[in-house]
Amino acid sequence: MPFLTLSSYRIRYELDGPQHGPAYVFVNGLTQYAELWSAYRDALVEKGFRVATFDLLGQGASDKPGLFISQDDQVAALGLVIDVLGDDPVFLCGISFGGVIALRYAVTHGSRLAGLAAMSTFAELSPQLLLLGNALRAGLIHGGTSYLQDLLLPMNLSDAWLGPQLGNLDTIKRQGWLTNDVYALQNLMESFLDFKPLTAQLPSIKIPTLILNGEFDFLTPRTLHETLRLQIPDSALVIIPRAFHAFTLEKPALTAALLLRFAEDVLSKKWKGNRSVWIAPETAGDPLIPFPEGHDHLRAIPAPEVHR
Amino acid sequence: MSRFLGPVDTMGCVPPRQQTRVAAFLMSCHGALARQLAVALIWERRPAWHMELNTQLYREAETVTLLLRATSWVPDPELLFLLPTWETAWQATPPAEIGDRTQGLAIDAAALGHAVHSMIRPAGLLPEQVPLHDPFALALRRIEFESGRVMQAQILFLKSTDLLPLREQVTSVVESRHRLVRKLWREMLAGIGVEPCN
Repeated sequence: MPFLTLSSYRIRYELDGPQHGPAYVFVNGLTQYAELWSAYRDALVEKGFRVATFDLLGQGASDKPGLFISQDDQVAALGLVIDVLGDDPVFLCGISFGGVIALRYAVTHGSRLAGLAAMSTFAELSPQLLLLGNALRAGLIHGGTSYLQDLLLPMNLSDAWLGPQLGNLDTIKRQGWLTNDVYALQNLMESFLDFKPLTAQLPSIKIPTLILNGEFDFLTPRTLHETLRLQIPDSALVIIPRAFHAFTLEKPALTAALLLRFAEDVLSKKWKGNRSVWIAPETAGDPLIPFPEGHDHLRAIPAPEVHR
Repeated sequence: MSRFLGPVDTMGCVPPRQQTRVAAFLMSCHGALARQLAVALIWERRPAWHMELNTQLYREAETVTLLLRATSWVPDPELLFLLPTWETAWQATPPAEIGDRTQGLAIDAAALGHAVHSMIRPAGLLPEQVPLHDPFALALRRIEFESGRVMQAQILFLKSTDLLPLREQVTSVVESRHRLVRKLWREMLAGIGVEPCN
């Protein structure tokens, strides 16, 4: 298990695929760990990509600072992983908490990236997200990791995924429960206590940017992704049908296919972001569908678009 | 080395030798915390902190008495050598980083509590096949669950605005106590053939 060194801490990472070539770097969500990207690693390596996964400070097999974790340190840790890849084109992909770290990296080191995929993420804490975050933190403090998982599972995954798993949830939760420590999760959550919105800095992200948002994402709804779409010039928003916040866990084949197509389009210079809005197909590999013109993609009902 | 305690017996119970060693370690560190809290309560005059320390004292006492009753004890001669090492490690030590000795002792005590409650995850050692109502397993789950809550007072204190000017020193003391607790916990587990994942 290789490690990188960030001041006195160790960052666990893994690099798969060929020695050289375009690379994808994945940044975990709050309660995730590197192994959860294995389906993505397999799909992208098969297409000739290098894939780097790692555990952020406070996660998985990386060191877990006792009291404080700063987001600046997480960005620095991500930078160390990207440095390992040398000069090859790098596509950076982060989900939720990891999406914020990826955005922050893209703001300060955009020239190092060939493309950015921001999934289920945000640039500012809306009142709903702030209050939800506080409630989740209180849940962690009073009920432990297991209770936090109990809250997140139904919030972040669809009935279609949960239904067949109901009798198996304890087993599904166990690895996450073993890997995550309460104090480390709490430190990760508390790294948002002094969070400053990134919105004003988003226009400085000039690279091609794919924004992925679950149709029914309850935790980070469409409006938060709309901020990214409007502020990042070369971006496109793709709505994943029937998906919630954790669509990367629920629809890995579809999401990996979207990431692959994004990278191939960028590398072949076919990519045109244009702040466009799309609907992802139900099946991996099928074409994207343009969001119907004249309708408001921020609404759940087919309401006419009101120009803002 | 196994990630979990065991192999369990036909009833799914953890071997008594492992139970004895783990329980002895936990009773040693939580007992030490209880003693430190008892002393701190004598001097603490702020009502909110007095109440919190009092709660913590009884949580630590609960951990010790629970393990006394829930563990299948067997003679373990190695404890004659291990216990003095552990007890020495828990002793209050004014950190060199903190100029004020009294404040330093309070920070060290909180750092030790934080390390014990956060680093040590006894329930994470239980293999899946241990029965839900096994007394030792119930005790370990209870201790780990309560540790997550008891730790909050230490976090509040160590991250308090009063200590913000000493943030680097406090962090250093906490990391030092974490390293010590992690080392002793892992050494103890290695002695019974266990290497935890965290």
